[in-house]
Amino acid sequence: MSPQAILITAFAGAGLVFLAGKVHSHLRDFLAVLSSLALVGLIAWSHGQYGPDNEIVYVPDFLGMELALRLNPLAWFFAIYIAIINAASVVFSLSYMKGKEKLGFYYSMMLLVNAGMLGIVLSGDFLSFYIFWEIMSWSTYLLISYRRGPALHAGMKYIIMSLVGSCAMLVGILSLYAQFGTLQIAELGEAIAGSSSGYVLFILMAMGIAFGVKFAILPLHTWMPDAHSEAVSPFSAVLSGVLVRMGMYGFLLVMYSIVGLKTILNLGAGFFNFHYILSWLGAITIVIPTFIALLQNDAKKLLAWHGIGQGGYMILGMAFGTSLGVAGGIFHTINHGSYIALLFLVVGAVEYRTGGVRDLNRLGGLIQRMPVAFFGCLVGIMGLIGMPLTNGFVSKWFIYKTLITEGHPFLAFMAFVGTWGTILSVYKLLHNMFLGQLPEKYKEVRKAPISMQIPILFFCFVIFLFGVLPGIPLRAIQGIQDTMGFAPLQLTMWGLASGAGALNMLNICFAIVIAFAVVLLLMRLGAKPRRVPQEDSYAAGSSVPAGKYHHSVEFYNPLYQMISPYLKDRVDQFYYWAADKAQGVFELTRRIYTGYAGTYVLYIISFLALLIFLQLAWEIW
Amino acid sequence: MTGIIQIVLSPLIAFVVGVLFLGLARKIIARVHRRYGPPIYQPVIDVVRMMSQRSISHGALFELGVVLALAGSLVTVMLIPLGGTEAFQPFAHSVLCPLSSSGGLLVVMYLMLFGPLGLALGAGASANPNASIGVSRKMLLALAYEVPFLLVILAVMSQYGSISLTEIVARQQQASWGVLSVPLSAVAAFLILPAMLGIRPFDLVTAPQEIASGPLAEYGGTCLALITVQKAIHLFVVIALFVDLFLGGGVNLATFLVKMLAVFLAVEMINAVLPRVKIEDAIKFCWKWPTALAFVQMTITVLSK
Amino acid sequence: MDRNQIAKWLKSPAKMANKYSLHAVYFCTGCGIIEIPPVITTRWDAERFGIIPVATPRQGNLFMITGYVSLKTLKAIIRTYEQMPDPKYTVGFGSCPINGGMYWDSYNTIKHLDRYIPVDGWIAGCMPRPEAVFIAITHLWTLIDKGKADGYLRYQENYAAYRRNQEMLFAELEWPPLYPCDSIAEEARK
Repeated sequence: MSPQAILITAFAGAGLVFLAGKVHSHLRDFLAVLSSLALVGLIAWSHGQYGPDNEIVYVPDFLGMELALRLNPLAWFFAIYIAIINAASVVFSLSYMKGKEKLGFYYSMMLLVNAGMLGIVLSGDFLSFYIFWEIMSWSTYLLISYRRGPALHAGMKYIIMSLVGSCAMLVGILSLYAQFGTLQIAELGEAIAGSSSGYVLFILMAMGIAFGVKFAILPLHTWMPDAHSEAVSPFSAVLSGVLVRMGMYGFLLVMYSIVGLKTILNLGAGFFNFHYILSWLGAITIVIPTFIALLQNDAKKLLAWHGIGQGGYMILGMAFGTSLGVAGGIFHTINHGSYIALLFLVVGAVEYRTGGVRDLNRLGGLIQRMPVAFFGCLVGIMGLIGMPLTNGFVSKWFIYKTLITEGHPFLAFMAFVGTWGTILSVYKLLHNMFLGQLPEKYKEVRKAPISMQIPILFFCFVIFLFGVLPGIPLRAIQGIQDTMGFAPLQLTMWGLASGAGALNMLNICFAIVIAFAVVLLLMRLGAKPRRVPQEDSYAAGSSVPAGKYHHSVEFYNPLYQMISPYLKDRVDQFYYWAADKAQGVFELTRRIYTGYAGTYVLYIISFLALLIFLQLAWEIW
Repeated sequence: MTGIIQIVLSPLIAFVVGVLFLGLARKIIARVHRRYGPPIYQPVIDVVRMMSQRSISHGALFELGVVLALAGSLVTVMLIPLGGTEAFQPFAHSVLCPLSSSGGLLVVMYLMLFGPLGLALGAGASANPNASIGVSRKMLLALAYEVPFLLVILAVMSQYGSISLTEIVARQQQASWGVLSVPLSAVAAFLILPAMLGIRPFDLVTAPQEIASGPLAEYGGTCLALITVQKAIHLFVVIALFVDLFLGGGVNLATFLVKMLAVFLAVEMINAVLPRVKIEDAIKFCWKWPTALAFVQMTITVLSK
Repeated sequence: MDRNQIAKWLKSPAKMANKYSLHAVYFCTGCGIIEIPPVITTRWDAERFGIIPVATPRQGNLFMITGYVSLKTLKAIIRTYEQMPDPKYTVGFGSCPINGGMYWDSYNTIKHLDRYIPVDGWIAGCMPRPEAVFIAITHLWTLIDKGKADGYLRYQENYAAYRRNQEMLFAELEWPPLYPCDSIAEEARK
């Protein structure tokens, strides 16, 4: 299947859904689900069809440039990942968005974001890349501010930062065109090989700002928590799961497909090596957001900060340029997509059933009412922590092993500490929503509707499948690495086969299952406990005060008091300060225009006088 | 065949030795307090008694949390070499570590999470604020001791250039023990050992007098029996890990257990005499001295490589 | 452990384990509790008999009420007793739980604890010395051996009567009958 067909389906779907929204709501929902599932099917079908047949020039002459699409292993891998998460979110939206206004607009924007992202990964030259990048950015802006009110502010923050990134990218692209006269990605790879390291660094910096804003690397992350807390939950899943990871695709494309492995590794010297600085940025991106997440009480903000923090692992894995590390980085990207999307969907389900509550201090005990959502949340946090048997473990293991064997224990230490911070905050998420006493007002909450349960259970399945048999995605990743010139890994279906540092998930899985069975048998030996209601709880002999017997507010209070002074988001404050000052400067500039014709005449005359003076003094003209 | 024997044998050893250590701990503390103390098999009696009692359950997760914790601890044991060596020595046998090629020390660190997480889930499901406070303290304490512990582990891994525990033990047996090659790390690890075991002065998680034994507030009967067993196996795992990382493992099971006993006695002496600290003080302590020592040692190790 | 005990262990391990592993919930109502710290610490060391204090009723099997029982306390005693898992043994410590003791004519204390929860044994005296606790324990061992420490069974069988007695004091208990099962609780309601 050619990339053109995929893109036509994607854009046509977005348009048709908008039109169908004018006709009938069922038709609109049906078309939205159909087109997003059709995309998954189309992309899955085109697996392995790489090569020159699938390079299509769709505009042969645009200001002297060719606009082309192509399909290669990297593009296919990201495309299927985008399409699946988007399809799951669209299915989830069916009940979540029911009864909201402007649904035709919402669904068509969801599909347009999807189409934009598919366009990015399928585009064969940088001009199309830039066009699709802008389509994605602007439709994201519209979706973030969908709810109005404070969402408009969050959307504004996003689009301003995104525009700064786009400008940087445009500078990079123009410079590439001026230097080499082409924007074809395949040709650029060969052309750039001979250029100076200073120029390569400039290109990397320009592109890095654009990708860094999308990726939310630390100094460029501030749009993300606001955007998440204002966006609707199914879109948050897409936003954190895939959209942000377009930055990862960009980094992979520029660093390894265009600039090339050898150049990257030799860029800079000593401690000021490019990949070394990038990996330190990654490490800082892990630690600080993870601990800021600990302080959050809004479930979606908490997850948003984790979304930023987990990006650090991908950067760490990718920056070192070893086979193991890059494989870990790419694998972590899709793993992160699966469990963060799952967690956002779970929070969305809870929000849907409790009437929009996602304040972690006001929930509790929902495991009794929403068992499937609880299971989803449990699996999601296990993935986020990286517990064995989940996919997050395998990719983190790859990254840790890279860091340790490459001799960077300090980076590994930061990555580990980030993991432990993650454990604390996600347990708080799980506990405050699902465990403890069920408040009186949620006694009648019903379990999530089936269209919410299907995506949740699907992601749970994926997390366990890739955790026990990581060979499935790693084979595809190997294909990507072959095109970039990495040494092949000794992969097996269940992990890594290389002597003492091997990983065998199947063994661990069997061991855990057997141990689980043995312990269950042991439990059978003892007296069987009897089930009691939650009111029959130890309260030093008194009866349990209903609705008040729950510890969730300031769950980690001793730690908050110790770390919160150090964890202000100073970057965000700095941006606001800068924006404020800039506004002051613009205000000064505005004063020039007084509105009196006389002043303007004065300006003109004095300018002419200046020119005449200059001419008389130095005879320039 | 030897694989299957090992898979059965190593959790069994951990179970027996762990329960024995629990009894020994009570006896040692009693003797330090100038009491006579219970018989050394008292924990066995306790476990049998708990198994026979019909307790309550707050739902499936309340029980599954305990199962998860115990299963995780049992699997962790299988990844830790319990003595044995590849080199030829008198009275030596091959390494007793059934899952030695399944990911090494990194997997051990993550599997050790199953215990606290399982208990935390079960305690959360018990719908009791005492349990929640206990879990909150457990999580904070884990964060507090993991910071120095990670530095310690990373220093050992960079010193021996491997993430495989069996290889680290083998290197120590060829050259010098970890306690000599990374001495400050060993001191740091010993300082946080009580916190990892959850004994005094860091028994604030299950503080009976303050928060009604914390996460265990609602547990009784069979579940409590399994938690006791889990505690025993966790005790075994942590001390075995210390012996493997710093005392060169053992050429056979006997020497390994003797080294474990020595470490265990030292830790129990601390347990017998110190009072409990507050959680804030526990965090401050863990992030001060053990972290500083481990950090210095890691810097030295990295620079000398 | 002497030899004839091994046979007993093999015959009924649960009973023997219950006997030698009495985890005690000390209900510290009155002045009697002052005698308990010497019992569990260095001087008399109850731990050598396997008796240690526990913090919640869920973990214990020995319930010791050490002093007078006021009406308000009785509520907590009943609830704590009902939250302990079976089998469990109750011991009243001091004169007050037996017959009111020096509070025999008080308007606000109960005189006979065993009208509200079943009691397996008493330690008389005001105050009983710590040695008396050990005598009581050895006596409780004999009762367990003979199967006569069956308070928890009596509570199940006669729950309706106990509940009626309890509700005569408290017009309405603050909680629905937690124990032992719904059918008996329903019966008690009638």
